[in-house]
Amino acid sequence: MSPTQKKRFMVVSMIIAGAGLAAFLALKAVDANAEFFITPSEVNAGEFSTTQRYRIAGLVKKGSVATQSDGVTREFVVTDCDYDVTVQYTGLLPDLFREGQAIVAKGTFADDDRMIAGQVLAKHDENYVPNEAAETMMQAQANKCDTTEGPVSY
Amino acid sequence: MNLINAFFSSIWGFLNRSFHRLGSPREFFKISNYATPIFGLLFTVLTGYGAYLGLFVAPADYQQGDSYRIIFVHVPSAWLSLFIYMVMATASAIGLIWRMKMAFVVAICSAPIGAAFTFLALVTGSLWGAPIWGTWWEWDARLTSELILLFVYWGIMAVYYAFDERQTAERAMALLAIVGVVIVPIIHYSVEWWSSLHQGATVFRDGGPAMPASMLTPLLLMALGFTFFYGYVLFLRARNMVLDQERKSRWVRELVKSSRATGEAQ
Repeated sequence: MSPTQKKRFMVVSMIIAGAGLAAFLALKAVDANAEFFITPSEVNAGEFSTTQRYRIAGLVKKGSVATQSDGVTREFVVTDCDYDVTVQYTGLLPDLFREGQAIVAKGTFADDDRMIAGQVLAKHDENYVPNEAAETMMQAQANKCDTTEGPVSY
Repeated sequence: MNLINAFFSSIWGFLNRSFHRLGSPREFFKISNYATPIFGLLFTVLTGYGAYLGLFVAPADYQQGDSYRIIFVHVPSAWLSLFIYMVMATASAIGLIWRMKMAFVVAICSAPIGAAFTFLALVTGSLWGAPIWGTWWEWDARLTSELILLFVYWGIMAVYYAFDERQTAERAMALLAIVGVVIVPIIHYSVEWWSSLHQGATVFRDGGPAMPASMLTPLLLMALGFTFFYGYVLFLRARNMVLDQERKSRWVRELVKSSRATGEAQ
């Protein structure tokens, strides 16, 4: 490389380094806000206001889904196999909703471990499995907390 | 030892010559005469076969049924949106450092293709998200950073076309492309650094791909096919741009004259 090219190379490298540093600092500043959800363990460990809205994510606990008498309000427990949060939700659930499925619920805390949700989303994981193995897979997911030490990731 | 040295220096020499040949618009045009149809053919074959395997041969997913098949378009598009950005940023750096004409051509011709793949990744992701997640759009780290990538692509294109003078336009565009490169690792790691609705990587992850070979094969074929599609469209666009930029040069005038002559003879 000629001296001019070397100089330009340095300038380009410094631009990349500067942009990288700026991005790093910016992301550091918004770090907590970039989180999409909190987990039941974090709910247990932290203080959360009852007036602000949060998203929590967890596995739908086996045998916890109950439908109230109006037919559209459901109450279920989400868990990370360590701690549980009860979620109450009125409305349509996503097709993937079932025991052992990871879901994201958005709403306000009525109590320390009880959320009134306005939205429930299914959180799909990275696993793709042929449908002949569906039964086994879904059972393994529903029983995950019996076989795995928490907190699990999803 | 001498033999090994000679081997490597001949390879280096070949790469060096190819690099310099590609650096000349005229040589690029000659090479693209052959490369363009080859890329087009590879794209058609790979994508055609991949789509056939993906739509008719691969089994349905255990919980998503057939709606998971959008992955065969979504994931290659998302990969390409990042790959094209890396190509564009590298070409921009080469253009800025070595003042190579063709590098700028590659960079600016890549931008709309990359933007198109980003758009496709966002749209197919949204279409998949509606039945699976239960929402079209959420502001999670992955989705938001990919949307920013689309805006970066648009910004780069807008900057290039905002200047009348070509050299200024090229340098401004290249500078923006280089600054914007920070978005690429952010998009890639967004699902690891923060909790997100979007799932983590299925294919490139610790412990190997989390999908059977019957689904992985069409996915990789589609990804390879899409890459050749990018190359194909890039060649077409770059050929066009080279002809336009070099329209006053002798070789282009002769090319036009000879193609006119064959046109009249027919």
